[in-house]
Amino acid sequence: MNQPARPPFVAALAEAPLPASGVAWLDKARRENLDAFVAAGLPDTRVEAWKYTALRALSQRSFAAGDAQALSRDIDPALLALAGIEGPALVFVNGVYRADLSMLDALPAGVDLQPLSHALAADPESLRFTLSRHYREPGDAFARLNGAFAHDGAVLRVAAGAKISVPLRLVFVGAAAGAEIAWHVRHLVELGEGAELTLIEQHLGAGEQAHLGTQLGDVTLHADATLHHVGLQQAGAGSSLVRRSHYRLGARAQTHLHALELGGTLARHDLRAELVGDAAGFHGHGAFLPDGRQHMDIQLAIGHQARNTVSSSTWRGVASGRGRGVFRGAIVVNTGADGADAVLGNKNLLLSPQAEIDTKPELEIYADEVKAAHGATVGQLDERASFYLRSRGIPEPQARTLLTTAFARAPFESLASERLREHIDQLLLARLPA
Amino acid sequence: MTAESIETRADNTLLRDNAEVAEALGRNYAAGFVTEIESESLPPGLDEGIIRQLSAIKREPEWMTQWRLAAFRHWQTMPTPDWAKLKIDPIDYQAISYYSAPKAGPKSLDEVDPALLETYEKLGVPLHERAALAGVAVDAVFDSVSVGTTFRKKLAEAGVIFCSMSEAIREHPALVQKYLGSVVPQGDNYFAALNSAVFSDGSFVFVPEGVRCPMELSTYFRINAQNTGQFERTLIVCEDRAQVSYLEGCTAPRRDENQLHAAVVELVALEGADIKYSTVQNWYPGDENGVGGIYNFVTKRGDCRGADSKISWTQVETGSAVTWKYPSVVLRGDRSVGEFYSVALTHHFQQADTGTKMIHIGRDTKSKIVSKGISAGRSSNSYRGLVKVEKGAERARNYTQCDSLLIGKKCGAHTFPYMEVKNPTAIVEHEATTSKISDDQLFYCRSRGIGEEDAVSMIVDGFCKQVFRELPMEFAVEAKKLLEVSLEGAVG
Repeated sequence: MNQPARPPFVAALAEAPLPASGVAWLDKARRENLDAFVAAGLPDTRVEAWKYTALRALSQRSFAAGDAQALSRDIDPALLALAGIEGPALVFVNGVYRADLSMLDALPAGVDLQPLSHALAADPESLRFTLSRHYREPGDAFARLNGAFAHDGAVLRVAAGAKISVPLRLVFVGAAAGAEIAWHVRHLVELGEGAELTLIEQHLGAGEQAHLGTQLGDVTLHADATLHHVGLQQAGAGSSLVRRSHYRLGARAQTHLHALELGGTLARHDLRAELVGDAAGFHGHGAFLPDGRQHMDIQLAIGHQARNTVSSSTWRGVASGRGRGVFRGAIVVNTGADGADAVLGNKNLLLSPQAEIDTKPELEIYADEVKAAHGATVGQLDERASFYLRSRGIPEPQARTLLTTAFARAPFESLASERLREHIDQLLLARLPA
Repeated sequence: MTAESIETRADNTLLRDNAEVAEALGRNYAAGFVTEIESESLPPGLDEGIIRQLSAIKREPEWMTQWRLAAFRHWQTMPTPDWAKLKIDPIDYQAISYYSAPKAGPKSLDEVDPALLETYEKLGVPLHERAALAGVAVDAVFDSVSVGTTFRKKLAEAGVIFCSMSEAIREHPALVQKYLGSVVPQGDNYFAALNSAVFSDGSFVFVPEGVRCPMELSTYFRINAQNTGQFERTLIVCEDRAQVSYLEGCTAPRRDENQLHAAVVELVALEGADIKYSTVQNWYPGDENGVGGIYNFVTKRGDCRGADSKISWTQVETGSAVTWKYPSVVLRGDRSVGEFYSVALTHHFQQADTGTKMIHIGRDTKSKIVSKGISAGRSSNSYRGLVKVEKGAERARNYTQCDSLLIGKKCGAHTFPYMEVKNPTAIVEHEATTSKISDDQLFYCRSRGIGEEDAVSMIVDGFCKQVFRELPMEFAVEAKKLLEVSLEGAVG
């Protein structure tokens, strides 16, 4: 059988030179990832993980591999400011580390934060296990792509017992360039036993651009560690952003995630949490608000693999304009994960006749001492609540905005930082029609 | 499982075009098979010759033969579906005999072989008594040929047609041609295509305009002979404001091989019509080591074609080694209503992947799904459902509730609901829970002197009540007993 012609997306990247590391195992892993990507191409909607996200349009575009001028792109420092939150920050522009924009001089004791490019130059061996990983599932195209091309990102290690009170920030900026480019970042985050950290991850857009960004992150929490992870995705309007985060939690480790998705034309986020230690807990909260022609796809998968593990997740979707929101929330309780307690809720508002919501909560249970529940709804604003507000003299448009904002902000009420809560409120208010 | 029902319409036209070509090409062969009519069983294997023979044995008109052949040709181009959460050894479709009939061809109920009737007796379907006492007309399908139909006359007076599919093809060809394949097209899915090619018999019900069917209709299916798949095809049509309640029970004797069962059920509800379809499925589930048992691949779909129509599916699934079944409703008519009530119990090595699809197309359409899954032993039990609200389905409303109960540590209970909503005035709600029988409940029962097995059975019965309520009374009693029998040895 003749091989069908490669779509432009695959063809352009198949011929692109791989970043040279000078490290034999890494060069080999990159080559293998690229070969696997080229052989399988982009998944179509028959692949279950991409059922509601068609990549046909993307596959017809071609992106240049990386931005050679990333180091000299002008970025307005005001763009990088976040609600008066000071503290260490690592800034990447089009996937490349920018020392001039970053703040690394006041790192708290116990924190080792550096760009992947530096970590690789200094001690590649310590990254070997993670960076040699293969991605074998049919929908793994972007992970393979990232594995082949990513040469920068963040490497963050927190020493055992270190309780870090200052939030750390990772900022990714997609900046306008001459051509449409594809950039990739790769993270490794590791919290030692009993460590505590707040990590804020931001995606921003500077100027008109339609780049593709991919991000692949491995987050490991050793026993008793606690991570507060906040994700604010405000990528540029025309850009595509495909992210995947793997959390691996040891005994009693806790992750509290708050994720807001606002930007991008195509925004896909795969969140996978493996609860491998007894009594580990994953608490995920998020909102996605596709508007215009935005397509947002959140794929959450939580694996309970040890005893007495807990997960609770709340995601809210608001689709307006011609926006389409996709949510998959899978809970898998493996054999032996007795005492697991898992709850997942996904509520969605459909605000316009052209918008669409596709949601798929899943339960896969292989143990019997288990409590697992999920719920999902798709509907519209409560007419009675709207009526009540109008009866109090609030005009209808404002009443609707108020109710929609209240709906979308609910997952963030558990966010500890008041400043961030207020910031998210402002983002939501600015987003929703006044 | 996606809502391919809509897209496959287009394929169907294609199939029809192909069928015409096939008709022209196939004509010269037709005569060659007439001599085969004497045979009671066709040899194992599947090709166009077998299908022509089958069609000839059943004295079908040429259009039916061509319809089957078109389905067969399409089936050959289709891949075996692999999306369900089922582990199945590859099926050798050439090792199956696609037709077997009882030796003596009975003309009326009195002529039916007493041994056959005895088998029904054991299954609790004494045709005469039960029919008379319960006022139920039974169209019993033994292997592939309908052997007895009762209460024909009474139904005929009301204008209701209730007969086997083979008779319907011969006696009511216009009706069959109009509706057959109109809900589940020949190429709808792999197993529906296979069924369309080789279906042996089944039931046909037609309730004319304004008629309420005077009694509940019932069919008892039974697989008997070894190495024969059973492929029934059921078609129920309710004209405007007509109403019918149909019961289907299935059972099979013990065999070591995995037998194949691929049925298709089509329901058509025109304006204001109301169809209630209840199933108690107790095919042989295989033994406690997972040896043998029926492979049950069923396509059931109802079409609420007219405004204000209603289709309600109720199923109690306790049998089969493998169940692959998604009774669905296409809510085309404005204000039409779809319902799905299900209890699926799996034990030992049984696997069930079952659920429903509710496709909201018309305005103000409503659907309700209540699914109760019980897994024990080393079984796997999945709910898989789709609720789809199309753009024009103003104010569509769905409520789904899926609960799973786990008995034992080695079984699996899974829930895969899909919700696709394209209309901002629709409200879709889904809720699911999974838990085991609580120790508190068990302890309470035991402290009242109830044995552990009885206590489990009571709790399971309570868990399923919401669904059992929807079953006709005698079925509800049977379903409750079936659960008890099926759960034997699940605790302790």
